[in-house]
Amino acid sequence: MKTVSIDRSKCVGCRNCEMACAFARTGTTCESQESNIKVNHYLDERVLMPMTCLHCSEAWCMSVCPAGAISRNADTNAVVIDEDRCAGCKMCMLACPFGNIHFDNEKLVSRKCDLCDGAPKCVEHCIAGALKYEDMNDNAAALRCKNDHKLIAQAL
Amino acid sequence: MQTDVLIIGNSAAGLSAAETIRKYDFDKKITIVSKESGPAYSRVLLPYVLRGKLDYDNLFIRDGNYYIENNFYYIEGLIVSVNTESKTAVCESSEIIKYDSLLIATGSNPVKPPIPGIESEGVYHMWTKDDLDHLMPHFNKDKRVVVIGSGFVSLQAAWSAVCKGLKVTVIELADRIMPSVIDNKGAEILTGKIKECGVDLRIDTLTLAIKKRDDGTFVIDLKDQSSIEADFIIVGTGVKPNTSFLEETDIDIDRGICVNRYMQTSVDDVYAAGDVAGGPTAFGDQHQIHALWPTAIEMGKVAGMNILGKQFVYEGSLNMNVTQMYDMTVASMGQFTDNLDCDEHLMPESSGMGYLKICAKDDQIIGACLIGKTSAMKIFGMLRPVIRLNKKLKVDITRLESDLQKLTYGVAH
Repeated sequence: MKTVSIDRSKCVGCRNCEMACAFARTGTTCESQESNIKVNHYLDERVLMPMTCLHCSEAWCMSVCPAGAISRNADTNAVVIDEDRCAGCKMCMLACPFGNIHFDNEKLVSRKCDLCDGAPKCVEHCIAGALKYEDMNDNAAALRCKNDHKLIAQAL
Repeated sequence: MQTDVLIIGNSAAGLSAAETIRKYDFDKKITIVSKESGPAYSRVLLPYVLRGKLDYDNLFIRDGNYYIENNFYYIEGLIVSVNTESKTAVCESSEIIKYDSLLIATGSNPVKPPIPGIESEGVYHMWTKDDLDHLMPHFNKDKRVVVIGSGFVSLQAAWSAVCKGLKVTVIELADRIMPSVIDNKGAEILTGKIKECGVDLRIDTLTLAIKKRDDGTFVIDLKDQSSIEADFIIVGTGVKPNTSFLEETDIDIDRGICVNRYMQTSVDDVYAAGDVAGGPTAFGDQHQIHALWPTAIEMGKVAGMNILGKQFVYEGSLNMNVTQMYDMTVASMGQFTDNLDCDEHLMPESSGMGYLKICAKDDQIIGACLIGKTSAMKIFGMLRPVIRLNKKLKVDITRLESDLQKLTYGVAH
């Protein structure tokens, strides 16, 4: 299964990923508050860090959603929110240890990365090669996955 | 009949356990007994359906084929007694179910305060699908509702009524609203918002009696205040665990069923989870009842793993609440009340998050509460593992979100 891998040493902080995501979602705006991927800057540490859903294998947001609105897409393996079922209770935001679930203040439902049904726009528009859509079996993705799992294990 | 695993209860804890067992073992015979009719639904969604945010059909959180696809044997009926010696449970229909492992996930029921007239028709709770079915025809514009109690459930019911254009009065016996969910300052802010939304909110008010008139409307007598009228009444003054059918067993009960870190009760092969159970918390309490959805999901999973014999230890429950009401996000987690010996950090107004208080002790965050904006919710999500794992973090409130991200993502300081 493919997923978005993040190599933060390559990120240049251009925020193209945010704009691409916002536009893919809304079709009308590139405003970064509409994006499901966020690039964080930590100036003291000289680190740039794109953050997007890890599609955790044991997704706590999915287990805890009291509306049964979060499921795993069988084709892409993405953890996705059904906005018709979402009550807007924000339990998933309380559950995500990575702060990767956002809120749509117009529709009053939660929103998150859905891997653009298998063609993630953030990756397409990344100019630095920091974001890749890779098979889990590839070395880099596997390493990232290992790191994620370590993070998840620490976090849960 | 005979079953490997008998699960009494068809909601968060019961289903979480059943699904956990099924994930590892497709053959074990799992029997789920539900005292309510119809497929599993989510109690959390009741106020959202009432106020029209969600369609009624979305109340049901598992589809029609769920029990068959998962190979769960499903029975509708009430379990009236359990014999842990012979490992049997008796249904109201007199059917006897013999089990190897028993999970009690019977949840909780609303408490009825001792008010004369509280049993009248037209006085409802907002706790079950039946309650919702009774309430929905009343939720019409300009109807008058009195809500007795001001906890999480009551205030959500009142907010649903506000959304539907009803005239709403909320009566609270204590001197503030929501004592277990937010701190004093938060209660004060939310009280202001509730009143702004047109609710007649009365604290320090004792309900003396509920009187039903011949025309079906109600008069509610209050101590030292003039009586108020209503078309119907919602009572939400807390819940108590459903344990009455266990009276003749040796299972330790202290309000809720006492369970250890494996969700085992004091009797072999009997487990309990969810609202009915008092279990260990992240703060070292032995037997705390949370009656919260996330806790029920976690406890159910732990019970399921241990029914499978996997020796899975619960790290302890962490209380957490969140909802959107009166145009505010109301959330809390861990320890945040006013009587604590801890450092309180308030998020500055410039953050735009609203009222967010972080409680910390010796560079460890122990809790938080919020009456404010959605933008603060990410902080709560990241706080959960920080509180649970006792991670050290010196709180600099202006940098909190960034510091939590760095801690979460392992960015070196």
